[in-house]
Amino acid sequence: MSSKLFNTRMEEDVKIRSYYGKFIFNSHFLVFLMIAAGVLLYTLLGLRETLSPSLYIDTLCALLMAAVLLPKYRTLLKEADMLFLPPYEKKMAAYFKRADIYSLSLGLAVPAAASVAVLILLSIGHDLTSILLFFLLAVLLYFNAFNIRRLSVNTDYTKWAVTSALILLNFISLMLVLVNPFFMIAGLFFIIIFTVIMKKSSFQTLSWLNYVQYEKEALQQYYQTVSMFTNVKRIDKAFKRRRILDVLLWVPKADKFNKKYMYEYLFYRSFMRDHDLPMIVLRIIVLFFIIMFWIGNLYVSLIFSLFGIYLIVLQMSQIYTAQAYLLWPKVWPVSRTYIQDSYIRYSHKIVFAITLIFAVMFTVTHPAQFFYALAFPLWGYLLNRVLSKSIYKKETELSD
Amino acid sequence: MVLEINELTGGYSKDPVIHDISFNIKAGEIIGLIGLNGAGKSTTIKHILGLLRPHSGNIKVMDKTIDSDVEAYRRHMGYIPESPILYEELTLREHINMTAMAYGLTPQEVEARKGPLLKRFRLDDKEDTFPSHFSKGMKQKVMLICAFIVEPELYIIDEPFLGLDPLGIESLIELMISERDKNRSILMSTHILATAERYCDRYIIIDQGRKIADGTLDELREQTGLSEGTLDDVYIQLTGGKRHEQ
Repeated sequence: MSSKLFNTRMEEDVKIRSYYGKFIFNSHFLVFLMIAAGVLLYTLLGLRETLSPSLYIDTLCALLMAAVLLPKYRTLLKEADMLFLPPYEKKMAAYFKRADIYSLSLGLAVPAAASVAVLILLSIGHDLTSILLFFLLAVLLYFNAFNIRRLSVNTDYTKWAVTSALILLNFISLMLVLVNPFFMIAGLFFIIIFTVIMKKSSFQTLSWLNYVQYEKEALQQYYQTVSMFTNVKRIDKAFKRRRILDVLLWVPKADKFNKKYMYEYLFYRSFMRDHDLPMIVLRIIVLFFIIMFWIGNLYVSLIFSLFGIYLIVLQMSQIYTAQAYLLWPKVWPVSRTYIQDSYIRYSHKIVFAITLIFAVMFTVTHPAQFFYALAFPLWGYLLNRVLSKSIYKKETELSD
Repeated sequence: MVLEINELTGGYSKDPVIHDISFNIKAGEIIGLIGLNGAGKSTTIKHILGLLRPHSGNIKVMDKTIDSDVEAYRRHMGYIPESPILYEELTLREHINMTAMAYGLTPQEVEARKGPLLKRFRLDDKEDTFPSHFSKGMKQKVMLICAFIVEPELYIIDEPFLGLDPLGIESLIELMISERDKNRSILMSTHILATAERYCDRYIIIDQGRKIADGTLDELREQTGLSEGTLDDVYIQLTGGKRHEQ
């Protein structure tokens, strides 16, 4: 019976994933992914020809694999389960077994993709046995990380502490096997020790509160990742007062203290105080700058700049969607066109500022071809126009 | 008339929840909208606010229908929902500013009006705090401040006393009476009949989506034959009592 319950929930989860998958892996993103993967492969193969074996390459490989060998644990439990399922705790083994299999299958794609890059880099100066042992240990560490995460839910350890310890364990174990294949024994020893510690720290019975909270956080994390590419209705929006940024917030003078500007007043605050959005924008900018600077290829920089702007403009539109469907815009005596006008003014200003940052990044990377960056503000403007229009259209259809 | 509802039938889907409801509110009246859970009070309120479209019938606020001029229709109404609905990213001051901008108040009017309201609800030292961090009662006070600062002709208050402490309830009652004295009207749905009996001028009782009574307490007493009955007695007689007899 409990496995039937899990299957129903798994089907729901798969439906949600395929629904958002359609939006994430749209044609634009697939083209970008293919180009990015091609460029990355080309660069790595080029490096393989020119680089000589070094500790830095090994460290990079171990670090990369350590960071991706962290499968998620998804039980698909719901809040109401805290009330209804505890009496059936002893009959839940089948449910959790199904959850284990499902969770393990969800986390395979990223380590598999990373393995390709690591394989190319490891082929610089390592023999087949070392490489095979490295990947064999990686597989064991993947299962170990899953097991530790699963056990840690029913302990007092924080998620942060467990993840940090796992990354450290993964890194040290993988690094040791690259130094000397015999050190694989050390990796296995660490795995056993870690598992014993976790098992000893586990509560006697299931802590339903922990399990439900863990699942809730995992689901929100998934939605947050998806929200980087498309609008997610179910995400729990959190806001954070950043007093230091309050000075940047626009305060309308008497002539603009009216319904025409009220939503612009709101949008700036939503953006600055959003828990994730400013950080996501910052992360995209920093990450893309590192890639552009590292690869140093004109076309790669152009593609990454344009795609980075596209991602950020997509993110911005969440703010409009979040506000447009709230109660107050439907109760206040303010025409909905003012919301759209305010969003246009606000978003064009923010997008312009962000395109300027990308222009500076591009110019720093390719000073001789700085003139390409002049197109970025236009690209941002056009993207913002097109995406805003599609949101307004969706909103009109929904309100009808 | 401040509010006129004529033969309103409506609901959330094709199946109506409320049927042929008609009533009026004059300037300077406090009206209690009373009914059991699921009777149709909130549905009626949502229709008045324009959040739901009537299947038939019409609603006028200050002689305007929502279709004739949506902004003018809404400008005369202030709404306080049953559960506080706040912008998590805005401080109390910013909530007040947003409301003021929506209703066309000048910054000077805001400054003049907000002080007494903040003091009355004991939030005068919380202007720069996020109300989303407040207790439920304090959040409800934010809703009250935002509605009362506008000074509209008609206040629509859904379960006004839920979550408020006794001092908050007393402050709200004083404020409602003071607004009535300024010829403004209030429509409030409530279950706390003993409190409603103290200051409502008239009651509209809804049961199973239909209006079953409309009048002053004396008129309702006469209708039910409970000459000395409290509003509770009258209400039970009109709703529960009748059902028990069946």
